Amino acid sequence: MGSNREELSAQLMDDIDPELLEFIQLRVNTFIKWDLVQFFHRNPHTTDLPNQIAQYIGRDPRIVGPELKALATSGVLHEEELQGMRIYTLTPDDDMRERIARFMQACEDRQFRLKAIYHVIKGLH
Amino acid sequence: MSDPYSLRLATGISGLDDMLRGGFLPRTANLIEGAPGTGKTTLGMQFIHHGITAQGEAGLILTFEEFPDQYYRDALGFGWDFQRYEKENRLRVVMTSPEVTLNDFQRLGGILEAHASQIGAHRILIDSISHFERISSDPVMLRTLVYQFINALKRLGLTAVLTRENPALLGETPEDEEDLAFIADSYLMLRYVEIESTLAKAVLVLKQRGSNHARDIRQYQIGPMGIVVQEPFEGAQGVMSGSPVMSMRDAFQKAFFAPKRRPLEK
Repeated sequence: MGSNREELSAQLMDDIDPELLEFIQLRVNTFIKWDLVQFFHRNPHTTDLPNQIAQYIGRDPRIVGPELKALATSGVLHEEELQGMRIYTLTPDDDMRERIARFMQACEDRQFRLKAIYHVIKGLH
Repeated sequence: MSDPYSLRLATGISGLDDMLRGGFLPRTANLIEGAPGTGKTTLGMQFIHHGITAQGEAGLILTFEEFPDQYYRDALGFGWDFQRYEKENRLRVVMTSPEVTLNDFQRLGGILEAHASQIGAHRILIDSISHFERISSDPVMLRTLVYQFINALKRLGLTAVLTRENPALLGETPEDEEDLAFIADSYLMLRYVEIESTLAKAVLVLKQRGSNHARDIRQYQIGPMGIVVQEPFEGAQGVMSGSPVMSMRDAFQKAFFAPKRRPLEK
């Protein structure tokens, strides 16, 4: 009975645009990354150091640093070395920017947000 | 001979442009210093807005603290649609830190240089230069860094408004704060002034390198369309000290020629 209910909720949660699901699973798979993607989407001309970016989103710099690096590896952000400092900007890639915009637009819908949260938590375990 | 005013970059603030004899000179760094709430950022935004809408000159805003959203919202309060200008590639609000800015400007083809060239920026607002103080507490080093930064802006052909906070709400600038004023091409002071128990705002153009400028202290207001600079303060001395007193002539006139109150009726 319990497993049926879990299966049903899993089916409901899987009812999501496959592209967006992939974006969540491969790129925005933690809540810090979600915050960062939202921040860079809203402030697309930001160029800054991990410590500063951590301040902007109100999170611990020790946690934000590796998350920025992971977002750069997955192509969401652009990482550069500047006189020994690591700096991050939003990717200049138009396709990726479009995917980010789609994700952020989808997040305006509460049902989508619940599904996305479900998948982030599922991915964390 | 060409009209010298045509070479200027007007701020769009009519009274202020009169004080500056038409506006700022091209490729100059112009320091706007004042206490919180005196309208430094508003003045800078008005300079950017006027460039975009009246002169066809794209603008950059470099912010070290405020989020771009804050500028969009504040500008919209004056009827300036900064978000639209950004979409039209006539404006870019760039959020960064002084450390990144300084190093980025030193290299060839940096990110900030790319922003400027992508939109063909002529004007830039740096909000605020006070944040450079966190790079170095040594005033000599700080002066060198700001000097280098200003030269980089000029190299890119930009005319800059640099805001700087003055912690003193009323009164003179502390002496150690004056140092950067020497590097800037022009220096404008915005001050709160207490007159008869009300707080007014005053602007003074302290210097403008390579140009004549008004020497008087003028009152200004921040209205629904932005900053409006009014007539010079008359009959007051020590305005920039924050607590002006009437000149001898005006005190005499007020004492002897002002309409007399009618005595209370019995």
